Amino acid sequence: MIEFTSTPIILTILLGAVGVILPVISIIRKERGSSLYGGIAFGALIAAICFVAYQILSKHIMPAAIFSKNVLVDDTFGSFFAIAMLLVSIMTTVGSFNYMRGRSNTAVYYSLILLASIGMVLIAYSTDLVMLFVAWELMSIPTYVLAGFNKKDPSSNEAAIKYFLFGALSSGIIIYGISIAYGLTGSTNIGDVISGFSKLGPDMMPLALLAVGMFIAGFGFKIGLVPFHMWLPDTYEGSPPTIAGLLAAGTKKAGFAAALRVIIMGTIALNVDWAFALGIIAIVTMTVGNLAAIMQKNLTRMLAYSSIAHAGYILIGLSVAPFSQIGIQASLFHILNHAVMKAAAFIAAAGIITTLAVSHIDKLRGLGKRMPITSLGLVISLLALAGVPPLNGFWSKLMLFGAAINAGSVAPWAPYLAVAGVLNSALSLAYYGWIIRKMYFEEGESDKRVKEPKSIIAVMIFSIIFMVGIGVYPDPIIEFAKSAVPNLSALSTIH
Amino acid sequence: MANGAQHMVDSIFLAVSVLTIGSAIAALEIRSLIYGSIALMITLSGIAGFFLLLDAPFVAMFQLSVYVGSIAVLILFTVMLVRRELIFNKIEDSRRRYAGIGLMIIIMLGIGTIIIGSGLKTMETNTQTIDYRKIGEDFLTYYSPALIVMALILSSSVIGALALAKREDVTNEQRTD
Repeated sequence: MIEFTSTPIILTILLGAVGVILPVISIIRKERGSSLYGGIAFGALIAAICFVAYQILSKHIMPAAIFSKNVLVDDTFGSFFAIAMLLVSIMTTVGSFNYMRGRSNTAVYYSLILLASIGMVLIAYSTDLVMLFVAWELMSIPTYVLAGFNKKDPSSNEAAIKYFLFGALSSGIIIYGISIAYGLTGSTNIGDVISGFSKLGPDMMPLALLAVGMFIAGFGFKIGLVPFHMWLPDTYEGSPPTIAGLLAAGTKKAGFAAALRVIIMGTIALNVDWAFALGIIAIVTMTVGNLAAIMQKNLTRMLAYSSIAHAGYILIGLSVAPFSQIGIQASLFHILNHAVMKAAAFIAAAGIITTLAVSHIDKLRGLGKRMPITSLGLVISLLALAGVPPLNGFWSKLMLFGAAINAGSVAPWAPYLAVAGVLNSALSLAYYGWIIRKMYFEEGESDKRVKEPKSIIAVMIFSIIFMVGIGVYPDPIIEFAKSAVPNLSALSTIH
Repeated sequence: MANGAQHMVDSIFLAVSVLTIGSAIAALEIRSLIYGSIALMITLSGIAGFFLLLDAPFVAMFQLSVYVGSIAVLILFTVMLVRRELIFNKIEDSRRRYAGIGLMIIIMLGIGTIIIGSGLKTMETNTQTIDYRKIGEDFLTYYSPALIVMALILSSSVIGALALAKREDVTNEQRTD
């Protein structure tokens, strides 16, 4: 049984208690649109991230583990994702201060963000399929509500219902995969399942592969892999823009955490060539995402398609993981970077929507003069997303493509992933550049500077420092990502 | 197992399957919410039947008491209490409908072929009867963090449902009064 002083349990208790108490306080105070609840949620999240950082720095956690005897493991892999997820939650919370002012149900809004954060964090710490599924649901259910939070806006309703239906379908597929895995091995512990899989006779092997396929499809829905991405643009566009940031930067990355825990370990243990299939999905996902993004006229919808494309880039690292030492490390590095870049871009969009009530790209003309700090934050995040040096996105893309080339000696198809990635990055620069041109090089209807929301400015300044800082000096994060990669050679011992 | 008993189990399995899947389709297709929720109740009871066939009376009992006994009854109550006129326009797109049915058949055939083609038929099962005390023990030791998280899922569902269901126009009216 896991100790009650371990990081995941403390985080659950801390964020869970605050998350449940917030609505109760709001019932007692009866005040609408107060920023007090946002403040409390922000405090809890800061305490949580400081605790994780303290645990990492004081070496109270285990090195990255693949298996454990418990449902949760307090390791570096989980802590890496906890830092990334909590960063996104903090950015979303602060970015929402202005967005939520004067709206109803503020306490519920922040409470649901906290509860969803627990789910996202626990997915990364899970080493048991039941625990993983329960954490998955804790992440999903609050975000279904958050996507439909603008109750009177039909597009928000549409976003929520689409997200809910596809989310329910993906949960169903995952639970089907879990039931097959349990039926074959008699255990729900990921370690036991994988070692059970490796001992299966050849006549049972198709069922194990079916289970892994179910996991790929189930997690693929949340990650937004093509062909499981249909719901994603409508949901991200219709949700409140701050929540779209949480979905794109947070829940999507938690999906990758689950995929790393289950699929990659499963495929390596099963010794099958899922890697090639994942490589093809990676190429299709990034190409479809980028091609569709070029055609968009709406900023949030364009960012939604760009996040599909980025799921493809991250998948490069996962697909070459069996052949290259730096595959998973590069994916983890890009996951952290993309979490901050995408959250910053969506929160900039939220700032623009709340201040000027526009999201159409043509209406962004002259924005550089009207909202200089938000524009600067948006530009830097877009350039970082495109992978322009010396920003953080450049280094993680370089590592991803490097890993693909590195794997070429074992898997001859792998370098083509790098070629596709570079071509796609160039393609993405076209639509990012188009937004930048509109904001800075075209005259708008008015040059008058408007008052930018303070909370958005705070998020922008933080993310600019992060993106430029990591771009100039990426070593600590690369080292952190390296320490978070589980030792894959341990898998070969179970054969 | 004797051949006759096997045939008996097979025919019960088929009957329960037809009942469960038929009522599930009915629950989706019937326009009346009340009949739809009654059909859902039959589906949920059918699933309890599967658990009984699988020698898991404990789970079957839970399925009946939790799903049929409380959740389905709760849905029925809700349906009776809220406005019953249809608030949605029915937009039918028959091509999508057939595409959906076609996709479902392909997926079912695919999964069916894998399961039937695998060695599952030859698998010998000699499981002992389940010790309920062991289940309880596991819940309080190994799965205890999952239980905590389950509590949080329930509270987040309640919080979210309350926020979504709250009618804001009513509070506004009271304010202007």
